[in-house]
Amino acid sequence: MKFSDETLMAYADGELDPATRNAVERAIRADPTLAAKVRQHTAMRSNVFAAFGPIADEPVPPRLKAATRSGKVIQLNTARTLRAEAVPEKHRWSWAEWGGIAAALMVGVLAGGAAVIGLQQPAPLAVGADGALLAQGDLADALSTQPGGVASPGALVQVGASFEAKDGGYCRSFIMGSTAGLACRNGAGWTLPVTAKAGSTMPPLVLTAIDERIAGQTLDAEAEAAARGRGWTR
Amino acid sequence: MTFTATLPAQIAALLPRLRRFARTITANRDDADDLVQIAIERVLNRSVQWEVGTRLDSWLFGVIKTAWVDEVRAHSRREAVFAPEPGVKPGVGPSADALQQRMTIQKAVSLLSEEQRLVIGLVLVDGLPYQEAAEVLEVPIGTLTSQLARAREALQGLLSDQARSAS
Repeated sequence: MKFSDETLMAYADGELDPATRNAVERAIRADPTLAAKVRQHTAMRSNVFAAFGPIADEPVPPRLKAATRSGKVIQLNTARTLRAEAVPEKHRWSWAEWGGIAAALMVGVLAGGAAVIGLQQPAPLAVGADGALLAQGDLADALSTQPGGVASPGALVQVGASFEAKDGGYCRSFIMGSTAGLACRNGAGWTLPVTAKAGSTMPPLVLTAIDERIAGQTLDAEAEAAARGRGWTR
Repeated sequence: MTFTATLPAQIAALLPRLRRFARTITANRDDADDLVQIAIERVLNRSVQWEVGTRLDSWLFGVIKTAWVDEVRAHSRREAVFAPEPGVKPGVGPSADALQQRMTIQKAVSLLSEEQRLVIGLVLVDGLPYQEAAEVLEVPIGTLTSQLARAREALQGLLSDQARSAS
């Protein structure tokens, strides 16, 4: 028996009557191609739900809560005017762009040749009194002064994204030689909560660490320059 | 006992789902919230009447759909932003890959036709049964299932295109 794609979708959506459902299940057991098609429909359903589902977990904007409390609703034009007069939305790097920047950084590093950390220089990493890794020397200088998101071939350190962290401080991601990591401003220094081996892309460990800490989105060039001017303090 | 007095409270409880449905129709967050606000206004100002005893959620989706077609579509900002949402619960952090996948799918849905976005919003995102979705869209159930099939095919095509172009 041949089942239409619509029937297979209905099966994946739990919409079939028991008799048809049993018939489809028998057919799936006998035919791996059919089974694969059903898996595809089920997967699309869960992927689409996963993509939009979290919107229902967002905090509800006050203006909508207010709208349900009374029949009076702020005129939409007023609401739009209020938004337009607020601080204009600066360009925030989306995650897709950040992925591209990370790739560009790696290209820059590879093109510039492997960074050699000379023994005469202060070691770029040190272990602090509480066991945390601290940036020193060239790495610390780069974190404090170098603009991010710009590939600098030949430079010892490539700085990636800068952002405000949930704990109120600033963090920046970087690649130095074969090490990638996240550095967070701590007083006058930079601690490194995460380091990992740099591969062809920014290691997932570092991306996850950014995900966990970031408050809002990455800083654009202007915000970064302002933060740098303040010595990365808030 | 009349249900009218608790209607605002019932609508308030549905706000997260209403916002989510509006965001499958239009990817711009402000346009989507405007859409929900207009729908609420229409309901509470009694320009449309809810029949007590019918499903409030399905009926509200229908009001949102009509509000989109009548009012908001013409004035929409049309500029979508696909970036991680602010205000997501801290400590529940998806991996960067999961975030990327979410944005890819949201973008693909935004490229579908209006009819396709509506049917995907009702069935795949909100999870309405076919019968309820058909009533919201005011079409026979056979039309709903074929619209849904075409929408899924189109979405599959877009996602495969993106996977190909990314490799």
